[in-house]
Amino acid sequence: MTMDRRELVKAGALTAAGVLATGALVARARLDRETGDPQGEGTVRQLTVLNNIEPRFDEDVLLRMQRDLVKAMAKPVEQRRWVMVIDHRKCVGCHACTIGCVAENKLPPGVVYRPVITEERGEFPNVHLKFTPRPCMQCERPPCVPVCPVKATWRRPDGITIVDYDKCIGCRYCLTACPYGARTSDFGLHYMDGAAVGADGAAVMGPEQKLEDLPNYEYGKAWSRDGHRSPVGNARKCHFCLHRLEVGQLPMCVTTCIGRATYFGDASDPDALVTELIAKNNVYTLLPHKGTSPRVFYIA
Amino acid sequence: MAQRNAANSMGGSKMASLHSTSVAEPVASPPPIAPPIRLLFWALWLIALGLGLVGVYQRWLLGHLPAGYGSFVPWGLWVAIYFHGVGIAGGAFLLGAGGFLVGLPGFRNPATLRTVIVLSVAAVIPAFLGVWLDLGHMERAAFIFFSPNFNSMMTLNAWMYNAFIILAAVCWLLTFQRRSAWLKPLLAPAILFSIMFPSQSGAFFGVVEAKGFWHSALLPMLFLASAITAGGATLLAVRILLGPGAESAADHEAAVRRLRAVTLIGLTVYFVFEFAEFSIALWNPDVHAPAIELILRGPYWWVFWIVHLILGGILPFVLFLTRRSNAWLIAAILVGVCFISARLNVLIPGQAVGELEGLQDAFHHERLKYIYHATPMEYFVGLFLLAVGVAVFFLGSKINDVAARHFGLHD
Repeated sequence: MTMDRRELVKAGALTAAGVLATGALVARARLDRETGDPQGEGTVRQLTVLNNIEPRFDEDVLLRMQRDLVKAMAKPVEQRRWVMVIDHRKCVGCHACTIGCVAENKLPPGVVYRPVITEERGEFPNVHLKFTPRPCMQCERPPCVPVCPVKATWRRPDGITIVDYDKCIGCRYCLTACPYGARTSDFGLHYMDGAAVGADGAAVMGPEQKLEDLPNYEYGKAWSRDGHRSPVGNARKCHFCLHRLEVGQLPMCVTTCIGRATYFGDASDPDALVTELIAKNNVYTLLPHKGTSPRVFYIA
Repeated sequence: MAQRNAANSMGGSKMASLHSTSVAEPVASPPPIAPPIRLLFWALWLIALGLGLVGVYQRWLLGHLPAGYGSFVPWGLWVAIYFHGVGIAGGAFLLGAGGFLVGLPGFRNPATLRTVIVLSVAAVIPAFLGVWLDLGHMERAAFIFFSPNFNSMMTLNAWMYNAFIILAAVCWLLTFQRRSAWLKPLLAPAILFSIMFPSQSGAFFGVVEAKGFWHSALLPMLFLASAITAGGATLLAVRILLGPGAESAADHEAAVRRLRAVTLIGLTVYFVFEFAEFSIALWNPDVHAPAIELILRGPYWWVFWIVHLILGGILPFVLFLTRRSNAWLIAAILVGVCFISARLNVLIPGQAVGELEGLQDAFHHERLKYIYHATPMEYFVGLFLLAVGVAVFFLGSKINDVAARHFGLHD
């Protein structure tokens, strides 16, 4: 060793300082889990949807769920516990939820929030198809959140995991961390890229007509993808149509389900339809061994 | 004269004649490469740069559209280059600065340390450039410093690399002082960082529980072993190419022999670790280990068997066992280049296996597939990164010479 005692002490002190500083930064991040989301009475929504429609015992489950939604929105956000229940027995694999979601959120090619997985089971002639719609699981312990290097994604007090499009750097670490493959990256594709245009192309496909450059309203804000602006380049995911919930509308996939196989509501409400379904049926979650505690339940 | 004798003993008369200039100029010798080979080297560099600029232009103009990665395999060639670059930087610095710190023959000269620092920086800059180009929003890269989340291994990694670069830059400046009381004390944490960040690169994947192939405690060890191996090999290649420089010929030879030994040990350790991982996963005859099966029998089987095992392992191992320094140079270059396959074989197969069966067929799109093929644009950008690394090293070496002359140092 060619270091003298003084150099050795300095080296030890500097190294220890480096290790301690690293440890302190990690420890602080572990302890400080506050997201800064608004909570309390300021988040209460007194929605008037369905005020003039009397409940009936034989009404469509969509109306029942919408009443549950209005009731939940009248509580502070931290008291809501949004869950989704999907009944395999009723799902016919029509993909209406997938398409409804694409339309609602104006999803570009390669971005999907709610694909429907089709499995063929058994052997001919004793075969059947099983359809598994896969929205974001809105995990209670979402593995996609801690990996984000810039705090651009977090879990809200009502349990929905969201992405701040203005903050996301597009590193795609969260995509690899999600075991359900529920996050996709917006690479900037357009459905009309390369589309044939005729003589009247400018009129039909001109900038003012380009549907895909019209904004979507995720998270209650108008996002225009024109000019490689966010959400182009971002990680994107299902958010249970948060922007619709805020105005008393059910998530689009729930509304468009032709078999009424998808249910949505506040599981902290003992009278809600979803609570009833979870209690009465033998529900299960996807990949339970991953320890993520999903909030999407399936009825087998 | 001693240098000339040593050069003769290591590489024959051609090397000796080229080394002869270093006797007159003790600060840093010109590369012992014959002019035609040097010309060929720079021609290849120009081609790499030219093609690379085409790739960068495409990336700039078209964003990620010409790239082959998607949402199910979100990271591709550039991320592999990134981890390979930082591995070389960490490994080379650990060995070179460690040798300087403990005063090993062939490493104890400040001029040698400067070369090591320049090599590390030349490896880390293109790595950063590669991962920057990989971002969806390059203009937001600095968010990682202004709004960091230290629960993320990516943040910890990025901060540590940058702390390392700052420390290395300060150490580089201090090498120009005749007797700095802070050089060695500052090298100690820099060396610690150079051990930590390659290990963290493994942890970067290891903490991702969603990917069964990645979620292993062995991964940080594998990454550290590959960093030391590839970094040692690259440093060895540079030392052989540059010749003794400011070191005595005997010290230089001792350093070369030591780096060869480290690289050989690194190779052995890496392949033992890899064997351990694969054999345990495949021991049960009925086991299904899709990621490993992809590595061994998938469409890119040749990356493992030819690039990694033969060109990056067996052939260099045999060449290192010979007594010819020219063979060691080839072996070192092979390890330094081919060990990128070690990164690719962790990165891609880990992503190419989904947890939910049938997800790939649920919604059809090219970006929603568990298969990845790098596109020409990605390869071109890869060449650009290589050209940048070479240029940074070349320029850094020139700056070393000029600065040493400016400070009147003969080390």
